[in-house]
Amino acid sequence: MAIAVRVPELGESVANGTIARWLVKEGDRVAVDQPLVEITTDKVDAEIPAPVAGVISALLAAEGETVDVGAEIARIEEGASAATGAPAAKPVSAARPSAAPKPAAAAPARQPETPAPDAGRASPMAKRAAEDAGLSLGSVTGSGVSGRVMKADVEAARSARESAPPARSAAEPLPALAAKAPAKRSAASRAAQEAETKARFGSYAIQEGDRVIPMSPLRKLVAEHMVYSKRTSPHVGTVAEIDMGGVAAVRDAQKRAFEEANGFGLTFLPFIVHAAVRALREFPALNASVLEEAIVEKRDIHIGIATETDKGLVVPVVRNADRLSLAGLAAAIEDLANRARNRKLTADELKGGTFTISNPGRKGNLYGFAIINQPQVGILRMGEMVKRPVVRSVGGQDAIAIRPMMHLALSYDHRAVDGAPANGFLFRVRELLEEAEFDL
Amino acid sequence: MANAIEISWLGSVRYGAALERQLAAIEARRAGGPDQLLLLEHPAVVTLGRGSKPENLLTPRAQLAARGVEVHEIARGGDVTLHAPGQLVGYLVADLAARGARDVALWLRGIEASLIEALGELGVPSRRVEGMTGVFVDAPGTARKIASIGVGMRRWITYHGFALNVSLDLAGFADIVPCGLSGVTMTSLAREQRRALALGSAEERAYFAHARERVAAAFERALA
Repeated sequence: MAIAVRVPELGESVANGTIARWLVKEGDRVAVDQPLVEITTDKVDAEIPAPVAGVISALLAAEGETVDVGAEIARIEEGASAATGAPAAKPVSAARPSAAPKPAAAAPARQPETPAPDAGRASPMAKRAAEDAGLSLGSVTGSGVSGRVMKADVEAARSARESAPPARSAAEPLPALAAKAPAKRSAASRAAQEAETKARFGSYAIQEGDRVIPMSPLRKLVAEHMVYSKRTSPHVGTVAEIDMGGVAAVRDAQKRAFEEANGFGLTFLPFIVHAAVRALREFPALNASVLEEAIVEKRDIHIGIATETDKGLVVPVVRNADRLSLAGLAAAIEDLANRARNRKLTADELKGGTFTISNPGRKGNLYGFAIINQPQVGILRMGEMVKRPVVRSVGGQDAIAIRPMMHLALSYDHRAVDGAPANGFLFRVRELLEEAEFDL
Repeated sequence: MANAIEISWLGSVRYGAALERQLAAIEARRAGGPDQLLLLEHPAVVTLGRGSKPENLLTPRAQLAARGVEVHEIARGGDVTLHAPGQLVGYLVADLAARGARDVALWLRGIEASLIEALGELGVPSRRVEGMTGVFVDAPGTARKIASIGVGMRRWITYHGFALNVSLDLAGFADIVPCGLSGVTMTSLAREQRRALALGSAEERAYFAHARERVAAAFERALA
């Protein structure tokens, strides 16, 4: 039966690779695990082994071609060593005529095999030894260069058979088992399992009158990112309540002069970004990424500003935000927001963020926990500013004051960031905003 | 799952011998031995990875051979690069499956991160460049490459690895378009620190050894 050889999963972010070199050609007999092809992705050249023993019935991609993860790149006609009776008796189901030696392979599996002709895959001594032992070379794993079968391999297979329970010829069942196991791991069966889970938890049958909106490419990307982020980072949320009175005072004092000088209004967002950036310098654990077994605290601070556009959510990045003054930040944010809405952002401006700030709007938004923008480890979300009675200590006496209060909510990745640094960071943001020492 | 990494310094090893060492290390790993980091230097050799284009080898092989520079085509990712004395070569034979880390991109990023960490300790800030594997040092208007990376993999056991320019003679790179990147200048630790070191002198050897120790320590922290 024809077994597909597919490009394996090479990593979360790896979607494809390039066929660098075929190590076999159509018609070659291969052992299980024998290297078939080298696939390169970025600077890694990975040897892909055969999932089963058999004969290469088809090569489906050429050297130099780019192939997606999961794509079928070759087919192997499982060799005589397959223990299943009837299917093995069917000749080549893949439409390749190169399988001339195969009719010998179609014989029932339990009898001693005549070795199939396979020049080059086994040494002459090995072929002779296999013949003597009544073993099929296709079922012997080679220890020589590129899986070449050596005489010692045949001897080993023969003594394995001799020490095995007499009812079976030991060389045959093993490749069949090996054939089953890789199939379980294949991308195809994982997809089938997911489909089963989906079906169990219910999907939705469209009714007349429903409005069906096909997902735009941006929507699909956002959806994929959100699922990926939640699946990757264990999110923990923490909230602080900020007295924005100081910031409001600075803004009120400066806003007319600012607008005249710059041509756009001064909002609260640059103040929050400014404070967050200073706090990130003191708490670098929040300006980091998680690698496989390391955490990278980044040298630079590039702040993503989550922006809603009519097409969907985009997150342009203010680079080196720590080198900008409050006015500089305001200008950068304004420029990025405008260009985001006019769809004039470049690809570079959407990449490389080290931390993200989200301002989803004032109405119905006391606070909320945003989803981390991968591969970052933290995201700060602004809530609405509301005048509230709060207790303030004045000259040793508690009194009620009416202050503009805002909740700032931090979501952080608990793989890399623990509660203490997360809360420390958020508290520092609060301190900076409440001290309100801003210098336009 | 306990991870183990055995780090060894092999001194100057010819390319072919080092490749055999790596292949033996892969077999040893398969048989249950530890992951290994082999640190070494190579006599001048040009290697062509699976990504290489023939036009990136600027000097014909015959001429290189006449100068005693070997040329090897090898099963690692990446284009053409040069190894020479004064460059710290690290071959990482690691079982990514056993580490629960079946992700080739993350492996590359991890190698970069350890090199960046070591370089930081040695006083040279460096970084990644998005879209280019390797380690770079910022310079006015550009970035210079200080370390190259190219990895091979057999059933999730890696080999090959990185080459960090410590004190080598950068003139050798004139024979190739390094890694196929024509806009990129190569640099070295010594150049970034404005140290003029005569290859083979006691001073240069001490400098090289110090860099090697920092690199070994960084990888040990990351992989042990």
